Amino acid sequence: MFKKHGRGLLDFLVAILCLWVAAYHTPAGALARRFGAWALDVKSSARPLLSYYEGGGDDLFMPTTPLQLPPQLAQLHGAVPDGAALGYGAYTAWTQLPAAERAPARDLAIRYGQDGSRLDDPDQGPQALAKVLKAAKADLGTDDAAMLAVMCGYEPARYARDRAQAEGGSGELGLLVRQLPPEFEGRALRAANGLTLATAYGLSWPVSESAPITSGFGMRDHPILGVQKMHTGIDISVPMGTAVHAAAAGTVRRASEDAVNGKVLVIDHGRGVTTAYCHASELLLAPGARVERGMVIARSGSTGRSTGPHLHYQMALADTPVDPLRFRPIRPGSSSEIASGAADGRDGPPPPRPAAPRQRNPKPAPEALR
Amino acid sequence: MPRSAPPSPAQRQFEGLVTEVSRKLSGFRWVFMPLGLVALIAVGVHAAADVVDDRILWLVDHADALFDSLAGRFQATAPWVELVGLAQRVKIARSVALAWELAADVILCWPALGYRERDARKPVVFETSITSTGGFRQLLRRLRARPTTMRIFRPVAVALIALAGGCAVARMVQGAVYLPTRGFLGDGPAGFLGRVLALVSMAAVLYALGWRAVLRTLQDADTMSDDGAPSRAEALWRGLPATVVVIPLAFAALAGATPLLSFFR
Repeated sequence: MFKKHGRGLLDFLVAILCLWVAAYHTPAGALARRFGAWALDVKSSARPLLSYYEGGGDDLFMPTTPLQLPPQLAQLHGAVPDGAALGYGAYTAWTQLPAAERAPARDLAIRYGQDGSRLDDPDQGPQALAKVLKAAKADLGTDDAAMLAVMCGYEPARYARDRAQAEGGSGELGLLVRQLPPEFEGRALRAANGLTLATAYGLSWPVSESAPITSGFGMRDHPILGVQKMHTGIDISVPMGTAVHAAAAGTVRRASEDAVNGKVLVIDHGRGVTTAYCHASELLLAPGARVERGMVIARSGSTGRSTGPHLHYQMALADTPVDPLRFRPIRPGSSSEIASGAADGRDGPPPPRPAAPRQRNPKPAPEALR
Repeated sequence: MPRSAPPSPAQRQFEGLVTEVSRKLSGFRWVFMPLGLVALIAVGVHAAADVVDDRILWLVDHADALFDSLAGRFQATAPWVELVGLAQRVKIARSVALAWELAADVILCWPALGYRERDARKPVVFETSITSTGGFRQLLRRLRARPTTMRIFRPVAVALIALAGGCAVARMVQGAVYLPTRGFLGDGPAGFLGRVLALVSMAAVLYALGWRAVLRTLQDADTMSDDGAPSRAEALWRGLPATVVVIPLAFAALAGATPLLSFFR
């Protein structure tokens, strides 16, 4: 067909093909799309790619209230069991999709012999979705592929899994999403959101659940500097030398010491979730070390800018610091109220626990680890 | 040797149509060819940048930890520890990745924007020679006689980036063909069609644009290397900073962004 007479047509088609891919696969193309959408006053589909460079937090839906966990899911150290956490994360993200785009999950439920209509029930939905995800994982191999199937449908997820395997990669969501055409961009973002939330719900508590929280997340009068500052984590009062446990499996991204955070350990749990543990007296791991959930990673202390022994525990989703209490499930009989008065004598009256609905995506001037 | 049968009227009509379309499009080659080259390079550069962005984050993390430990040693500099937090570190790393990618785009796409053909108005039999200082043979002869950093590394970088870009295009085509067609063609035929069209599109991209991108880069490097009659040493060092920017991305493209075999598995 493309003999020398038709070479001009071939060149044209190939150039158009490359421009199409560039529009969806490069930041320059995404900027051009956004500008085009602005000029034509239409909705831009360029957000997912651009938000990556902007920090990612804006596109992430974050729940405003802690999980009300059914009694049968009670577990030590506050963690929601893995499968259930995946269900809750998926459900929270799935319900952010427009109603018309939720059909793939119902189809998936039916495919695995379950009642698709249960997914729409706010009480049964998370656990029903957890069952669907379990079956999809057995079929597709990874949680990431299963989550993609919930958001995009079985066939796109299976195709992406097969292509990713052909490339010799793992079933990690980033590689899976790369295999899909542009129309799946928005739903793939929800899949990423679901995995992030699932990982966050699955985090356990780094110290005893009964340890009092002496300073909550949010703006506060800084106990040493005496000025209003954003507190990007929570302070948990624990005696000097208390074992600090990893909230989930991950890799140590940072183990260092400075004048503000003291001895600090940052663990990357993947899927956009990191936790940080500051003011330790001793760090037991080096950067790059692999950790498992519950492993002792540090001993609490009072190093850095601190007035007494405590653990500053910080959590970030998509690199945005969030209140860890919002991801600590409430179970019958449990209490995670902030103690009145600072147990370590450093923080003054804490702000009330933020159970009331907040801004959808809080964007404090984050000074992480501070 | 048996002679091939003369084309049928329908075949002649189709060829005539293709020729006519080509003729009409030829008036716009000066627009779509440079844009196509730029798009191919940009896609390849992004695929390569995807491979390195985690490593940039790792570097920024370590640099910040080192800075914090140094600044924290002295009372006067201790507040500097608060300058960069976790969220800022990620933003810095991604900004660096983006800046690196855009810098590589500019360095590698600039010559492509200057792409011109000897006679793009001759529509029926295309004259595909690129206007400049010569074809591959002459340029390679000069490269052997006067090797410079730009002459050696830039075309190699563009070749690897174009290959990564070709793979990204093929991947996109495969998904865009397979997923909508499997409903009515069935899984096997749709999979086969997607795979074949992916390979065809990659071959077409490299055939129509890949070599032109490399040749145009070599021409530009050739001109730049000899501009102002520099000494041998000067010519060797000319363009080195920009080359340093693109070479790691070229290796990243080769190491992590050219899954050629995946289209056969």
